[in-house]
Amino acid sequence: MQLEIEDLTKKFQDTAAVSHVSYTMEKGVYGLLGVNGAGKTTLMRMLCTLLKPSNGRILLDGEDIFEMGAAYRKVLGYLPQDFGFYPDLTVKDYLMYIASIKGVHRAAARKRVKELLGQVGLSKAADKKMKKLSGGMKRRVGIAQAMLNHPAILILDEPTSGLDPNERIRFRNLISEFSQDRLVLLSTHIVSDIESIANEILLMKDGEFLHTGTPEEILEGMPERVWRLTVPVHEASKYDKNYKVANRKNVPGGIMLRILSKERPHPEAEEEIPTLEDVFLSYFGEKAGEEDAIL
Amino acid sequence: MLYYELKKIWVKPGTKIVLLILAATLVFACYFAIHGVYYVNENGENEYGIEAIHKLKAAKKEWAGLLTEEVIADVIAENNRLNDTEMGRSEAVHDSNIVFGWKQGFYDIRWMLVRSFCKFRESDYYVPDSLAPEDARFFYGNRLLRLQEWLEEDAQQNLFTGAEQDFLIQRYQAWEAQAPLYYDYADGWNQLFEWAAMVIMLTMLTLNFVVAGIFSGEFGYKADSVFYASCHGRGKAIAAKLEAGLLFVTLVYFAMMLLYSGIVLAVFGTDGAGLPIQMSNVGWKSFYLITNWQEYLLILFCGYIGTLFILSLTMLVSARTKSSVIAVTIPFILLFLPSFIGGSSLEMIDKILGILPDRLLDVNQTLSRFSFYQIGGEVMGSLHVLPVLYGSLALLLIPMIYQVYRRLSAG
Repeated sequence: MQLEIEDLTKKFQDTAAVSHVSYTMEKGVYGLLGVNGAGKTTLMRMLCTLLKPSNGRILLDGEDIFEMGAAYRKVLGYLPQDFGFYPDLTVKDYLMYIASIKGVHRAAARKRVKELLGQVGLSKAADKKMKKLSGGMKRRVGIAQAMLNHPAILILDEPTSGLDPNERIRFRNLISEFSQDRLVLLSTHIVSDIESIANEILLMKDGEFLHTGTPEEILEGMPERVWRLTVPVHEASKYDKNYKVANRKNVPGGIMLRILSKERPHPEAEEEIPTLEDVFLSYFGEKAGEEDAIL
Repeated sequence: MLYYELKKIWVKPGTKIVLLILAATLVFACYFAIHGVYYVNENGENEYGIEAIHKLKAAKKEWAGLLTEEVIADVIAENNRLNDTEMGRSEAVHDSNIVFGWKQGFYDIRWMLVRSFCKFRESDYYVPDSLAPEDARFFYGNRLLRLQEWLEEDAQQNLFTGAEQDFLIQRYQAWEAQAPLYYDYADGWNQLFEWAAMVIMLTMLTLNFVVAGIFSGEFGYKADSVFYASCHGRGKAIAAKLEAGLLFVTLVYFAMMLLYSGIVLAVFGTDGAGLPIQMSNVGWKSFYLITNWQEYLLILFCGYIGTLFILSLTMLVSARTKSSVIAVTIPFILLFLPSFIGGSSLEMIDKILGILPDRLLDVNQTLSRFSFYQIGGEVMGSLHVLPVLYGSLALLLIPMIYQVYRRLSAG
């Protein structure tokens, strides 16, 4: 299976949300990383046939997905960023309804719903109305609905927003298990979501792919190196101004800084092994610090 | 899929409210229909309820039979005899009530005398009191005569074409040719018809709040992305929405109408089912040659077609605009538009008003209206045109809703 994006562009009036993007995905987990407004959601909505591209094509095994229509959507699972549901339906009825519009037969749907409710830890909430669920529980229902039809292509837009740390771990394990022989594309601005499970990472900024590759390739391609340096409190602000500081930690005798810099910022600075969080900061700069970008 | 679409409608709190309103409508309509009839006892007091209905029925049944000139002469003679009694001459209200009680058995026939002997657009309740038994021979002929007098007036000359006038006269002649007609107690049908329009309109208006959300709801709940990204999201799932909407409307409409008519007819009885609709105060002038049970079927099915058309339009607007607020206004506009543009003497306006869908919801009134349309040289009444017109439009709207919703972009 091969999902090919060819010179894809989406313009809203004069603004290009996605601009001339090309990439080919096969089986595995793809992490789409970028700050808010980078074009991740627009790209995903095109991949789900919800938005028509202004230019370019998306091909599944050589066939245009918009021409494939229902045949493409039959192998697709999608969790939107802004996941909506029917508040008065129970969790079970909601999932059964979604299974029906996904073309899953009733008996198979019953079995699958039960199985997925167990996997997302919602078996006891099966008969609860959707509107009575907490934010994290709703998100878990959203993940379950995306996986109802055993999709060959699973697209998850910010799947972990609203999930607590335990739920995130459960989610990561679920995706790892599910992604065998499937293509999973998940977007996030939370680096830890994909750090351990993504086979490939797509860094997206201003509607374009800035850098793509395996986590190792991404780390190797990072234009800066990472340094650890402990400085007196009154000197810390000088480093904040002159360098990208990935982390600050109060330690006896001052503040320990994690600095991104091509050059050694101080003779006493010690080089560290970079992480994806460092990469994120390196590429997206100060914007990466907005909202809960690096967690 | 259809099961869960129906469930989505059913579980909404708004649907429960709608069903409560409909239950209240049913109770009120039955109450009004049953309490709209009263029996005046020998003391001149009004009695209401099922027992009173049975007493009145027994009194009217005494006059059931062929309404020949002799019977009409008997009615006029009896009316005059009662007027000449001491109580009949009295001006005291109590005495008048007692006399009314004596006359209530032939009350329906007395009303037909009012219609027959008054000018076409006039109504004088006391006209029968001035008749002599010999006048009975004019009873059937007067209907056409009054119509012709009215048509000859200047105001009507511009209102109807020659072909339309001929059509009307032919219809009146055809009715007269059946004379003498049979008379029977038919309060059940008359009461049923009187409140049927209210039941149909309130059913349609309340169901409107349910169907307005079927298509726009996906967007309102932000569930559209998952819906359209699903395998059947641009196909069978839309058809299931349509089926659910139409099925819900159909089930609730017929449940309301059959319960309403069942209750009213159970209380009053189905007597008079085969009477021509002209054998009543309201239907006397109608040019439609149908019986009471045929009018019932017409009310039932025209009401359904009208409801289906208007609510399909609501669904189309809901699908197109993604807004239930805008969609919910459609039936109100269609129902109240005639009130705003009505009252005009312009022929064109009258023609347009005559084919608005609200006429399908109030067949009892529409049957008495002189709205004509000429199609292929044939003159026909609005009730010959409306069911076919709006039935076809409703059938056209259904694939339109499907196509419109299919082509929408997710929000």
